[in-house]
Amino acid sequence: MEDIHISGFKDEYMQPTVDFVEATGECCISGESFMEETGVFYSPLVEWVKAYAKRHQKIDFAFSLTYYNTSTSKWLLAILKELREMEKAGGQVAVTWHYTPDDTDMRDDIMDYMVDTGLKIDLVPFSE
Amino acid sequence: MESAITEKRRMVDNIAISYTGIFDTEILSVLAKEIEGTLSPDDKVNKKVFKIFIELAQNIAFYSLERETNAEGNDTGVGTMIIRNYSDHYVFSTGNKTTMENIIPVMEKCDNINSMSREKLREYRRLQRNMPAGEKGGGNIGLIQVALTASNPLEYSLIKCPDGAYFYIVSVRIDKE
Repeated sequence: MEDIHISGFKDEYMQPTVDFVEATGECCISGESFMEETGVFYSPLVEWVKAYAKRHQKIDFAFSLTYYNTSTSKWLLAILKELREMEKAGGQVAVTWHYTPDDTDMRDDIMDYMVDTGLKIDLVPFSE
Repeated sequence: MESAITEKRRMVDNIAISYTGIFDTEILSVLAKEIEGTLSPDDKVNKKVFKIFIELAQNIAFYSLERETNAEGNDTGVGTMIIRNYSDHYVFSTGNKTTMENIIPVMEKCDNINSMSREKLREYRRLQRNMPAGEKGGGNIGLIQVALTASNPLEYSLIKCPDGAYFYIVSVRIDKE
C-alpha cells in the first residue's frame, strides 16, 4: 500500500491536508474540511485505514482540524470506527484530537465521537 | 402602509451581506472569506456565522429546485442568502425554490429540532451521523448543526411562486456575545 499525502487548500475546494505514512503508522488530517463531495475525498482514506489495519498492529492518528462540515463529520466517524475495529482486533491505537480551546461545539462533538465509537480520544488544545 | 414601508426599509438598512445566484464552490469560498474576515470584530461570532453559512449554503447547492450549470459544467443549486446586522445579534437567512412534497419533511424536521434541548439535539445528531452516508450532502445533519451552533430556534416560511413552486426561507438568530 502507498502512503497518502494530500496538500490542503482553502480556496474553492476547502480540503484538508492529509498525511498517512505506512512505515511509521503516523497519520494526520489537518486544516479545514468543508468540500461538498466529501465521499470522493474521504472514502479512499477509510479504505487506507482498513487496509493498514490488516497489515499492522500500531497506529498513531491525529485529527487537527479547525473546522469541518457535517458532511465531513460522517466520514470522520467512519475513520474512527475503523480505528476502533483495529483496536478490538488487538491493535495499539492512539487517537489525538486538537481543538481550539474556546470552541466548545467541537469539544462536545469529540465527546460524542467517543460515545459512539468507544474509542479513547486524547483532547489537546491548539497552542495559542 | 407607512409602517410596512418603515419595516421594509429597516430590514434593507440592516443588510450586511446579501447574495442571490448559483451556490457553487467558487461563490461559496468568496462568501465564506467575506464572512470569516469582515463581518464582525468578534472572531467567535464570525466562526459561528461561517459554520451556519456552510451548512445552509450547501443545502441550497444540493437541494434547490432551481438549478444552473456553472463554468466547470457542474449542476448546482440557485438561491439567496442574507445576513442582517442588529445591535446585539445577526440574522442569517437562506432561501431557495422547492416543491411542497420535498419541503414538508424539512419543515417537520425544523419543528422537531426546535422542540429539543441541547442534549437531545446532540443525541439526534449522533443518531443521524451513524446513518449510512448518503450519496450527496450530510443527510441533513446540517439543520441540527445550525440549531446547535446558533443556540437559537430555526424559523422558516414558505412563499408560493407564480410558477407553482414554493420559495422556502430558513432563518436563525446568532447572538453577539
